[in-house]
Amino acid sequence: MAEAVVVENLVKVYPAVTAVDGISFTIPEREIFGLLGPNGAGKTTTIRILLTLIKPTSGKVSVLGVDALSYPEKVRQLAGYVPQDVSVDGEITGYENILIYTKLYGMPGDVRKKRIKEVLEYLGLQDRADSMVNTFSGGMMRRLELAQSLVHRPRMLFLDEPSIGLDPNARSAIWDLVKKLRDEFGTTILITTHDMGEADSLCDRIGIMDRGKLAIIGKPSELKCTVGGDILSINSKAPNLPAVVKELGYSTIAGSSNGTVDLLCTNGEVVIPRLLEDLRAKGVETASVSLKKPTLDDVFLKYTGARIGEGERGTFKQARRARRTFRRLTR
Amino acid sequence: MSVTRYFSSVFVIAELELRKIRHDQSQIWLRVVQPALWLTVFGVTFSAIRSIPTGDYTYLQFMTPGILAQSVIFVAVFYGVVVVWERDMGLLNKLLSTPTPQSAIVMGKALAAGVRGLFQAAAIVVLALIMRVDLILTPFSVLGVFLIILLCGMCFSSMSIALASVLRNRERMMGIGQAIMMPLFFASNAIYPLSIMPGWLRVIAVGNPLSYVVDATRSLLVTGNLSSLGIDMLVICLTTAILVSLASLGFRKILS
Repeated sequence: MAEAVVVENLVKVYPAVTAVDGISFTIPEREIFGLLGPNGAGKTTTIRILLTLIKPTSGKVSVLGVDALSYPEKVRQLAGYVPQDVSVDGEITGYENILIYTKLYGMPGDVRKKRIKEVLEYLGLQDRADSMVNTFSGGMMRRLELAQSLVHRPRMLFLDEPSIGLDPNARSAIWDLVKKLRDEFGTTILITTHDMGEADSLCDRIGIMDRGKLAIIGKPSELKCTVGGDILSINSKAPNLPAVVKELGYSTIAGSSNGTVDLLCTNGEVVIPRLLEDLRAKGVETASVSLKKPTLDDVFLKYTGARIGEGERGTFKQARRARRTFRRLTR
Repeated sequence: MSVTRYFSSVFVIAELELRKIRHDQSQIWLRVVQPALWLTVFGVTFSAIRSIPTGDYTYLQFMTPGILAQSVIFVAVFYGVVVVWERDMGLLNKLLSTPTPQSAIVMGKALAAGVRGLFQAAAIVVLALIMRVDLILTPFSVLGVFLIILLCGMCFSSMSIALASVLRNRERMMGIGQAIMMPLFFASNAIYPLSIMPGWLRVIAVGNPLSYVVDATRSLLVTGNLSSLGIDMLVICLTTAILVSLASLGFRKILS
């Protein structure tokens, strides 16, 4: 299968920070690839370099076989982009928002109308096409943005935090659309997200980015296997709990907080009864035990040494900003 | 990118602006209020005082071209604020992800500012006629003035966009806009002739591109003496070309 994206040793240095620090990866055609990481990890910078919006400091980038550094215009003609910020114009209608883009992509006049109608129907916006966009809901604006970036039938789509600031219904609607796009048209899709659930349910493969580097790439299921199995969290008031658990020969993992010990095991449901007996024999009263099958969060913890939630304040800020923009548009 | 495709992109960017105006015409009418007040309040008062020597022409005749130009630069000088706002909204990133070259985006935006100016200029000419100001209105003079107004809008809006790529936020753009506005307007021949200025100020006014815009408009609409029209147009076109280029070169900086 042909490669839709090839990135080799990509570096982007800003005066104050190295945003992207020598990453390499490839994305085969028809894949939904997720770039995952906390804010400031370099995801958006990577996307913008791929879209030729920023020039890298060094490295090679090709998109759909086109060298992005030598032929930026060609790449932009082949790609579609939905930026993180809301990018529709509130002061014109939905139809006009798309019309402007068909013209900017150089679509001939006789196919424009048909394509716009198609894309509006595809995204379920046909009834509101002639309404001003500042009367749209946040989810509708996102769908309109998708319509704008799909109308020229790009073979490669870049989505930067596609579901930020959306309610759960709108979010799952966007996910369904993204999957449908790949299945029906074979579009290659690169999304960035800080949402592990989104990455898990949407992406064929993910790459975890941290401080400008790619920590690991793989299928979500494979990555979860690398964590090494199930996690048991034991909660107890006994102060000697960590010591006792270690003494019993279980492998604990870092990141445990006070009163709780996380330990790694296979077939957690079988281990629980035995563990409880062992602990009681040592005189440790257990308050609660919970079994957790590995998630991408754990994968993230393993490869970056931090929970993605620790960057959550930033994402909250982003979500608030997105909501504020929706409001501003609908003022 | 072919030349046709390039210019069609320029026009599409300007079309976007026109469509916004079509949906909300009140913004044009509101922008006409201030220049209308200049004509009706300031103009009428100073005509009565007769303190400004304007030769064979009434003071209202003399100042109408100045107010035309003023109404355009008021929009244009603050155009950078719009661009910064569009950056903040994410509109610019999306525009730049299309094959449209950045210079075409800048030129389209500048053209849009010029087109906005045209609507206002037309409204002011109508008002001046209602006030019985005697203007030369031939197809040549009207077309000429339209062209000058368009260029004037492009010229000062690209200056504003170029400043936006250095200053990069709305508050600073508002500040610089106001700082520029006043000398741009008063250190020019818009509402009084250069001859009554002290020497040092006259030097500044001669270097002020707005003086050439006003002079060209005045020679077409009021005096009919076209002897300096050539040099005026040359200065206007050259300044516009330089400022559009500067704005295009710096445009990507607005994003980072």
